[in-house]
Amino acid sequence: MKKILVVLVLLTALVGTAFAGGNQEGVKDSGVRPTLELLQNKPEIDAALKTYAKAWGEANGVDVVIKTVGGSVDVTVDQMLTVGYAAGDLPDVFVFPGVDDYKKWSEVILDVSDQKWVKDTAVEFVYDGKVYGFPVAVEGWGMAYNAEILKAAGVDPASLVNLSAYKAAFEKMDSMKAELGLDSVVSMAASISMSWVTAHHNFNSLLSNGLPYGDLSVVNGLLAGKVDMDRLEQYAEWVGLLFKYADQAVLTTGDYDAQVGAFASGKAVFLHQGNWADGNIEGAGATFKRAFAPHGSMNAATDGIFVAAPAYYAINKDSKVIDFAKQFLNDLVYTDDGHNYMVKEAGMIPAYSTVKLSPTSPLSQSVQKWAADGKVYSWSQYYFSEDFRNNTLGPIYNQFAGGNINETQFVAALKGAFEGLK
Amino acid sequence: MNKGKHDPIFWLFLAPAIIAFLMVIIIPFLMGIFYSLTDWTSRPQPGGLQFVGLKNFIESIQDPSFLYSFLLTFVYTFINMLLINIVAFGLALLVTAKLKFKNIYRAGFFLPNLVGGLILGYIWQFIFNIVIPNLPVLSTIYPAIAEPANLMLANRNSAVMAIVIAGSWQYSGYIMMIYIAAILSVPEELFEAAKIDGASPFKKLLHITIPMTAQAFTITLFLTLVQSFKQFDVNVSLTGGGPSTQFMGKFMRGTELLALDIYNTAFTSNSLAQSQARSVLFFVVLVVISLIQVRQNKRKEIEL
Repeated sequence: MKKILVVLVLLTALVGTAFAGGNQEGVKDSGVRPTLELLQNKPEIDAALKTYAKAWGEANGVDVVIKTVGGSVDVTVDQMLTVGYAAGDLPDVFVFPGVDDYKKWSEVILDVSDQKWVKDTAVEFVYDGKVYGFPVAVEGWGMAYNAEILKAAGVDPASLVNLSAYKAAFEKMDSMKAELGLDSVVSMAASISMSWVTAHHNFNSLLSNGLPYGDLSVVNGLLAGKVDMDRLEQYAEWVGLLFKYADQAVLTTGDYDAQVGAFASGKAVFLHQGNWADGNIEGAGATFKRAFAPHGSMNAATDGIFVAAPAYYAINKDSKVIDFAKQFLNDLVYTDDGHNYMVKEAGMIPAYSTVKLSPTSPLSQSVQKWAADGKVYSWSQYYFSEDFRNNTLGPIYNQFAGGNINETQFVAALKGAFEGLK
Repeated sequence: MNKGKHDPIFWLFLAPAIIAFLMVIIIPFLMGIFYSLTDWTSRPQPGGLQFVGLKNFIESIQDPSFLYSFLLTFVYTFINMLLINIVAFGLALLVTAKLKFKNIYRAGFFLPNLVGGLILGYIWQFIFNIVIPNLPVLSTIYPAIAEPANLMLANRNSAVMAIVIAGSWQYSGYIMMIYIAAILSVPEELFEAAKIDGASPFKKLLHITIPMTAQAFTITLFLTLVQSFKQFDVNVSLTGGGPSTQFMGKFMRGTELLALDIYNTAFTSNSLAQSQARSVLFFVVLVVISLIQVRQNKRKEIEL
């Protein structure tokens, strides 16, 4: 009798604990303040966004939870969503970079074509005529240059628009390395962990340089396995040029900090990165004048840099707080606090015509200037899967950078990779 | 105790452990095997889950990068086991000898084991990329060491060795502890008898210490085998799989061990089901190899 009693007591305790979790869950759901969860991938704006979100949440009676992944840590938004989906717990708003990722998550992304902000931006994410993504900002990359060293070397940045101009300029400055105090002309990184510089950003030169904005002719050709050999060979010469005049240690083993550091400390004239590097360059104490020059991946002049929205906020179709999510995005575009956060606090280039503020950092200003002049080329790398870019292209660039294959073999390897796509 | 396994109290006390084991080991393991036979993506799938038979396994075996990772993992495991055990046994002999401050050494050699693998990888990356080429002592004796082409992490073979070095540095101290316990348990009379017979220290090591610590070798070889096979964190942070290499006419990551290959298949190639199939293959191979190793080692053990 006594034994049965003990068993009963223990069982009730056990069952009690099992249900306790469920009860707490219930209390939270019926609580006064709903929660809006946002998943994003820019560690550099994490603090600014959290501060803004907290203030906005207080004003609107919502708890806004910001989750940030990315940077040098190898976790992406896509991985977080994959894990979240398996656990049945997706964020209410999340970031996606482009069409390849849109297709993976299209089932849960809300159609936001009816939103007010759509008419105030030129770079919203559109698929099949419907708007699905709120552009987070505008970003751009080209060849960032140190204007002071270029002046000392007697090179006019306005002349750097094609292969031959870059070749001449690189040769000239390479011979003047000692007097200019340089380690190398270009700061470039091509290690496997830096595949996002080679196989994502640099790769885009092949896809869209010199073409009208949004022109997908090269992309569609490559996706169908048809390679324009002339364009590819010119591009390979450009890649070879960048690798040849780069600091070999940074090129083969350096990380982002090493690459940006060489430019920030004046040891390299050119940096193959985008305007996001501004924060790191300023952080390193650099004060020199800098701006972007176009990529010289072709014999023909290509007078423009690559500018687009790097990522879009998508609203989760199954979210319980869709209205709050919509309002959160709208308030970024239509309130002074939102403008202040985007431009002043987070240092981003706004993607909306309603924002009258301008970023203060030189590379961001340079991107804005190129965009204002209409001299921009699109970002087309997202039409290729992450798998293809990281696992197929990344190692090919790395082999070329390490000198294991020459330019002809590099061309052949890329051609083979594209032909494997169809 | 007589009532044994039919006593409900017995099962009740066991329940927390059994439930935890079921929830975090058995059920996920069975689900994993199930998913490896489907086209599961962990994303919204309009068509629902489809059963695809052994497709994932066949595609895995046909993938050159998976085969390459498999071969590389064998090579890495062999070198790593060898180095860890030699270093650990050497250290154990050192700190069980009559030495001043030997407890401090013991603690010191064990400490790297307390550093997380990811952090350790980044620290060693800094050592290989920045410290070694810039060390005046090294670069005056051997100037080629500062050449970018000669950096440890710039070449495939030396990069694998870099993972071995970092991995051994981390794990040797732990294995050393097991050897210390075994060496201290060898009866002193044996050494005294050997001394009377006039055996040299090397003979004593070869004919007394090593045979008498054979049971420790079974454990340490098993632990280092499994640990090397499952190497992931140091791999990710130290080399990230780079530099690249060519294998069977394909370009691929040159230092991508199996665990990293499985991870990349899941999260870069987005083939979750196929990476699940690779995990199952990985598991089977590892079980077979460890069983053979333990059986072989057991034969050499001496019963006192």
